[in-house]
Amino acid sequence: MTQMIKARALGKSYRGVRALDAVSFDVEAGRIVGLIGPNGAGKTTALKAILGLTPFEGELVVMGKNPYTERDSLMREVCFIADVAVMPRWLRVHQALDFVAAVQPRFDRSRAEGFLRKTDIKSFSRVRELSKGMVTQLHLALILAIDARLLVLDEPTLGLDLLFRRQFYDTLVNDYFDKERTILVTTHQVEEIENLLTDVIFIQRGRIALSTSVEDLGTRYVQLTASAEQARLARQLQPFHEREVFGRVVQLFEGRAPQELQKFGDIRTPSIADLFVAKMQGEAA
Amino acid sequence: MNVMPMLIRRELWEHRALWVVPLVIAGLIVVAAMFPHASMQIDSADVATPQKYMALFALFHSAMTVPQLLLLSVLLPYYLLDCLFAERKDRSILFWKALPVSDAQTVLSKLLVALAIVPLGVFVLTLFTDVAASGILAVRFHGSPLVRAFLRWDTQAWIHTQGIILAALVVVVLWYAPIAAYLLLVSAWAKRNAFLWAAMPPLVGMLIEKIAFGTTYLAKFLGYRLRIADILGFSHGAAGRGASAAGEHASGMLERLRPWEAFANIDLWLGLAAAAALVWLTIRIRRHQDDG
Repeated sequence: MTQMIKARALGKSYRGVRALDAVSFDVEAGRIVGLIGPNGAGKTTALKAILGLTPFEGELVVMGKNPYTERDSLMREVCFIADVAVMPRWLRVHQALDFVAAVQPRFDRSRAEGFLRKTDIKSFSRVRELSKGMVTQLHLALILAIDARLLVLDEPTLGLDLLFRRQFYDTLVNDYFDKERTILVTTHQVEEIENLLTDVIFIQRGRIALSTSVEDLGTRYVQLTASAEQARLARQLQPFHEREVFGRVVQLFEGRAPQELQKFGDIRTPSIADLFVAKMQGEAA
Repeated sequence: MNVMPMLIRRELWEHRALWVVPLVIAGLIVVAAMFPHASMQIDSADVATPQKYMALFALFHSAMTVPQLLLLSVLLPYYLLDCLFAERKDRSILFWKALPVSDAQTVLSKLLVALAIVPLGVFVLTLFTDVAASGILAVRFHGSPLVRAFLRWDTQAWIHTQGIILAALVVVVLWYAPIAAYLLLVSAWAKRNAFLWAAMPPLVGMLIEKIAFGTTYLAKFLGYRLRIADILGFSHGAAGRGASAAGEHASGMLERLRPWEAFANIDLWLGLAAAAALVWLTIRIRRHQDDG
């Protein structure tokens, strides 16, 4: 496995506030990693450090490079979208293609044009004349035609309606992703991307709350739904989170075998969203 | 990779006024030359000596080109204040930063557009305008022998006139380079209202100086940096002439220009050093910027 990102004791302060506090994590090639946390948790700070947009403390290696000192050459192999619906409003579609083709050596113009042909976007239109959904399609057409090894997405679908959000992620996974590429995506809307992720990193108040692959998630965490009575018994096995749903108790366990818990009620692997909520509330308590 | 030419094209796409306005003005000059109300009164005395002829020739041809160059003194400061501000205002900065273009390339492309591409492009445009308008006038005033003598195509005099204008343009651009770099810096730095932020530091500085010390050194210095007459050698010999000689003064103006002497002026080089420092600072500022 090739290591795409290696962060060790990554730190960053803004005016005395620790936005990132000695964060360590790895991202391997061919994974889709979700960097998930509430607003202000440090997600964007981490991404900015990875993209070389901000200086940082600690060690950070992205594709063998120091992102801060080697940003320009790094951006040839890294692609990032902060918000798919934002592009320069005066730009014409054909100008966008011309520009990216001239500055980005890994851009395949015919691929982008092929993608645009499937849409209603006209070559002479300006971005300001396009609907938000069309801007998203244009942005995607440009990005998907760049043969980047690492794609970084920062809340890419913020402010888009459900239809375009779904379309965005579907295109990303079907037309773009393969084992050679790596995607790092931040969001606070976990439900939306949980089916595509291979790895999750939970981040809260500048610290890593959880870092795991989705495969490991199933062996590490068990969710038990039981009656109040059974739940009381199961409580001896020390669930780290508990909530009530329609009179039944939902408990989350870490490091317990499913066999141990089966007898109390229904068990399943918790969803990333459930786990996220549990971890965040646990930390806050 | 042709990154720099593309960055320059990108500027001209975004800031279309930089080439649309000069083209419109050029068109108006050519059209104006076709209309009958343009009349010329030339006495035989005006072209009696080679010196007088040359002065009038230069005045006529610079009248076709200089207004365009003066127009740049409005267009370019506006462009410089807007270029790095706009990408943050419309939040497109992260779109640009997601591409493998360095901050230095971006900032330098904007400076290059303001200090070389547009001034030289407009100068070349004025040459065509001048030839076209003079040609039209020569045909229209064909009947007048004096005007015909005056409008007769004189390659040597024309190259001489335009050469002085070009040399003056180069000196003016270099003299204003630190001001251009300052506007670029404000454009990169101002959170809102770049125009206000550009005007504030000098105004506040002058006010504080006046109140605290009762002096006006800053105002005098800024006046010196904004005035181009001295650096172009205009003032030499102009002092002491009376208002009665104003007409002669104007027609002989171009002849008295000594733009190349500016290169011996240390202040020009100090200004360029200051411009380099300001540009370096602008690149540093843009490096740390995002849409936040």
